[in-house]
Amino acid sequence: MRIADLTRLSWDQVRRRKVVTMLCAAGLSIGCAAIILAMSIGESTQEIVSSQLNSFLKMDEITVYPNNGPSSPPGSTESKDDEAAKRGALNDQKLEIMRNIKHVKAVAPFQEFNYMEMTTMDSKKGYALIVGTDLSTLKDFGESFMQGDVTGTTDTMNAVVLSYGATLDLLDPETRSKLYQSMDRNPYDENIRKQYESLRTTPTALFKQQIQILSMQDSGKQLTSPGLRVIGVLKKPKGQSDINIAQDRKIYVSIETAEMLRKELFPKNESENKAGTYNSVKVKVDAEEHVKQVEDQLKKLSVNTQSNLLQKERLEEQFSIFKAVAVGAGVFILIIASISIIVAMTMSTYQRRRQIGIMKVLGANLAQIRNMFIVEAALLGLLGGLLGILFSYWIVWGINALILNMTQGESAMSIFIPAKAIPTGLAFAIMTGILSGIYPAVSASRTDALTAIKRD
Amino acid sequence: MLRVEGLSHAFKNGNETTLVLQQISFVVHKGEMVALLGSSGSGKSTLLNLMAGLMKPTEGEIYIADNNIVKMNENKLAEFRRTHIGFIFQAYELLPNLTVRENIELPLVFQSERPSIRKQKALKLLEQVGIPDKGDMFPSQLSGGQQQRVSIARSLITEPSVIFADEPTGNLDTKTEEEILAILKELNRTMNTTFIIVTHEREVANQTQHIITLRDGRLEQSQSPEPDQAEEVIQ
Repeated sequence: MRIADLTRLSWDQVRRRKVVTMLCAAGLSIGCAAIILAMSIGESTQEIVSSQLNSFLKMDEITVYPNNGPSSPPGSTESKDDEAAKRGALNDQKLEIMRNIKHVKAVAPFQEFNYMEMTTMDSKKGYALIVGTDLSTLKDFGESFMQGDVTGTTDTMNAVVLSYGATLDLLDPETRSKLYQSMDRNPYDENIRKQYESLRTTPTALFKQQIQILSMQDSGKQLTSPGLRVIGVLKKPKGQSDINIAQDRKIYVSIETAEMLRKELFPKNESENKAGTYNSVKVKVDAEEHVKQVEDQLKKLSVNTQSNLLQKERLEEQFSIFKAVAVGAGVFILIIASISIIVAMTMSTYQRRRQIGIMKVLGANLAQIRNMFIVEAALLGLLGGLLGILFSYWIVWGINALILNMTQGESAMSIFIPAKAIPTGLAFAIMTGILSGIYPAVSASRTDALTAIKRD
Repeated sequence: MLRVEGLSHAFKNGNETTLVLQQISFVVHKGEMVALLGSSGSGKSTLLNLMAGLMKPTEGEIYIADNNIVKMNENKLAEFRRTHIGFIFQAYELLPNLTVRENIELPLVFQSERPSIRKQKALKLLEQVGIPDKGDMFPSQLSGGQQQRVSIARSLITEPSVIFADEPTGNLDTKTEEEILAILKELNRTMNTTFIIVTHEREVANQTQHIITLRDGRLEQSQSPEPDQAEEVIQ
């Protein structure tokens, strides 16, 4: 029997027996939609969490810290500790070795200060983290400039690059004080809160302007840094709210400027950082799969390393369990749906006994009758699968609309249907259809032609 | 063409055995139009079902075109029926969801015949049975006589060795009965197809060339019709 004839005859039955078709397709579509949704929610959540994890904990970066050696055992001499610290220190020589390790894309030294107060030329004030680094490597570490650039800039002394967050939440002390007082007086006033948030999230134009860093001494004396030129402002990070961005406030300066600031603002702590050594070093690797290999190489330099692979592995492990459970639930629904198909098709077989008998008398053999029913079941599966795909798109659309509604359009989170979920859902639905159709098909093919065509 | 040798058949009902056919033997030649005549319970339908391979006899052999169908398994029988046997039912038994032409083509569908050839053969047969313009209609849109014509065309499409007709005029009025019998006789004459018609009506049997009469499961007579009726048959 030709495949086209087999399909046509089976499709004709699917079309004709509307109730059976609806019953079977409904069950299968729910199962198929459940599988697609399970995969979509699993993949989407993993993607969202991974991208957020990536934006905070970059997967292709390794942070290197000095290795000060094991804690001193009782009775050990101080000179041994010094020796260990010297061996484990992060210096220019080690940086050079790191740059030459295979798969290393960029290396940047870091000297971090605490959060410090900054002031603009028009007396707006705010706090930011001062980070001393090689400014030319910012782009290598995934930063891009909204204004200005440091490519080709040789003179980075007294120059700064601001994160986008550092341009937010800058207010003159009087305005800030008034706002705080208003909020204290009217803690539930929505308008004041909105006004405050709006001021906090409005960027100040600082490119090509000068800023100063302030430091308060124990004696109560305030030290002010020399004027620092803003030679660049980094782009606004994607997928984060303005309030969150306003908390990520960094002022990047060159290592030389950082040293100068330390001397100017913390004159008493001169011995804290030895010249030519760094708090930490960041190593950018060309691909995530090489991180482990590079990390092993770095450890040979007597330094401590930290990558985010472990966190990612743990996350993936948790998501794989979640996805397996969700897909399992979908498969369970399909099994339940398959029972409805078996029942509906067995009923249909019984009702069509006469037709089967006539076909057998006209020369249809066991395999041809069986195949007709199996193709019919597969078509029901296909129909159920297509309906399931449609349902899953509707449900995902509904979930996304709900998320947007709940977050008032601010959420960067949305559920998507991964490409592989569609063929997987469809294949499960068709397979369920076929497997459920086997028993009715075999039963139909065994119908005794003579009994079937006999009229009482 | 068709040879039945020492055919007996019994039905078992618990411990009781009912013998419905006893030692039946006869021969039907190619191109013959034969009537299987008998009253209700004479065993004619059982004999037809046995000859069509729808039942296995308790005893005896049935040869169609020199093939012993008693020895065939179910699949072999299905294949044999597909190529050597045609069926005309009393209640037409057309599939209601298929058009007239698709119903006629159905036996060829099971033979995996090409659609263009199927269509060509079906259209030719529609003309031969006198309903050339009904191909795209559904069975429910036709009269009983027209449906039986479709059933006849369907039985002929595989050009079988023998066509079994089970009370083909049983559901029809006298005028339509005459028309259907005329068609069968015409097809028998022009296509040289062997017809075995089961009937309980002497008038129908008299239209054939060979009457096999059954009574209480035994072969009572196997003879040609009366001379005056035989003349009519020849015409």
